[in-house]
Amino acid sequence: MAPPMIDPALFDQLKDNIEKDSSIRKDLEQIIEELNQNVSYTQGVLTKIHSTPRSKYPALLSQVESGIKKELETTTRLAQFASQYPYYKYNYKWGRTLQDAIATVLLHAWLGGMGSDSKPGEVGRLLTLEEVGHVFEVPVNLKDRDAFHITIEEYLLALISVVEDLSRLAMNSVTLGDTELAVQISGFIKDLHGGFQMLNLKNDILRKRVDSVKYAVKKVEDVVYDLSLRNLIPAKDAQ
Amino acid sequence: MEGKMDEAPAPKRAKIGSENPSKPIDNSTGNTMSGFKRDRHGNEKRFNNGPRPAPKPKVAVVRNAYTPMFEQLRDELDAHHDRRDRLGKVSRDITGLSKKIVRTISPDLPPQIQAEVDSRLAEISKLLATMAPDVQGINRYRYSRSLMCLEELAEALTFAHYLKTQTLLKPDELSAFVEELTRKGAVSEDRDKDKDEPMPDAGNTPAPASGEQETTDNDNKLAEKEEQRQSKLEPLTMSTTEDDYFYGVFDLSGEMMRFATTSTALTGEMAGAEDERTIVEDMHELGSFFEMLPMKAGDRKQWEKKLDVMRQSVRKVERLGYDRMIRGSERPQGWVPDLTADQPGDDEE
Repeated sequence: MAPPMIDPALFDQLKDNIEKDSSIRKDLEQIIEELNQNVSYTQGVLTKIHSTPRSKYPALLSQVESGIKKELETTTRLAQFASQYPYYKYNYKWGRTLQDAIATVLLHAWLGGMGSDSKPGEVGRLLTLEEVGHVFEVPVNLKDRDAFHITIEEYLLALISVVEDLSRLAMNSVTLGDTELAVQISGFIKDLHGGFQMLNLKNDILRKRVDSVKYAVKKVEDVVYDLSLRNLIPAKDAQ
Repeated sequence: MEGKMDEAPAPKRAKIGSENPSKPIDNSTGNTMSGFKRDRHGNEKRFNNGPRPAPKPKVAVVRNAYTPMFEQLRDELDAHHDRRDRLGKVSRDITGLSKKIVRTISPDLPPQIQAEVDSRLAEISKLLATMAPDVQGINRYRYSRSLMCLEELAEALTFAHYLKTQTLLKPDELSAFVEELTRKGAVSEDRDKDKDEPMPDAGNTPAPASGEQETTDNDNKLAEKEEQRQSKLEPLTMSTTEDDYFYGVFDLSGEMMRFATTSTALTGEMAGAEDERTIVEDMHELGSFFEMLPMKAGDRKQWEKKLDVMRQSVRKVERLGYDRMIRGSERPQGWVPDLTADQPGDDEE
């Protein structure tokens, strides 16, 4: 009698692996959903920048900071869980949410938050990828081992979100009477645009989003133009 | 201007592929993704797989505070894209070779055909070895979309194994075999002609070293393996994942169906009948196996599509078995079953 075609033990082996994979995905989805909620709250608080004068930033930024703290806690749990498995097997599940979290951190820092004893916060500060990694306490651009980390793409996409937010802030800061901030934002966005132009982009999501930076540049240029027409540019920043 | 209105104006655009292409279109690899750009005279702009062309001259960018950062990020992204492109190219080659193997093999190969299969396998072996450095550690899953060739290879190897043993190759055996192929490919690159190490026969897969499960165990052992490798100067290897196995076996069912069809037509017998287990039973066993398995999450659509195709293959082989039973020996050799006819008593969609 010929042996069976399929080894009887194989079924249980494969079934167990598939079920294990399903269970991992379910657990991941739970943690990611929680991170999503943390991020949504923090993003909500950040919308107040469009209606808050700079003098009132300290209170606002500390509220943002409490939102960010929650994001960091959840990210740590995500990192611990996800690091047990190949990074690129599941990373697409949290990519978008993590990006948004990074964006809140970048924006918070740019507005003067994220200060420490050695390096006080100041308006206009762009955190590097490495600094973002330190904030989240995770590695960045990890190559020599397989664990949870922040990728270059996530950082750049987050940065583009920040650019979009800031271009909107440029307009609103004029309304709030803070023309200096508008001019500073304009310079920052134009510098970043130059940086993005240096990348050799392929036809992927990054290229699509980088295109939106062009529109942000146009918006802030319009704002600065309006200001200069009416001689509203603060003297020391006149270019 | 009279009289000119009668003539259609001559088309200004050059026809594709006409006058003065700098190179004829190369369709030999059957590569459907081999499009290359042409300029408006119809001449190819081809870089001949050489080094990355210089980035198109951009408007001079004034350096600012963030320029160094973006330069660094650019270099990292470039390296990633280059790696992905390299892998994709080799993957297409391996896919083509695997397909050729599938088309060539059958039970009881004459020696010259066997030699052809062996040389294709040796070629695949070398190609795998070239890929291995780019898919170590974290990169193995990073580039899985560029490694579709492994599904094709899984299909070819499981099919060869089936023809030889009438059993289903196991995932551990498959990955051990592919790892061995990679190792031999690296070794044969170093030695010019190594006649002492014969290529493993596609049908003879070595027993796995240990029943190692992929994913987490592998990751923890990566560091260990790297140390061993460096101390023995073992070549870098790569292998198949469980997903490669699944999708390879889905496609295997299609090959088994095609094999059942042609072998029945040629021999007038259901394949495998002498050994008491026919290919009809094997297809049934394989089909039920996959129907019973839970669906793989994160991949539902693909899984369902493949499962559906497998079902149809099972149906077709069932039909063959039925026809064989009904008609028995009254059918002359060379008779081809009519697979377009409806199943008896079946009102399919």
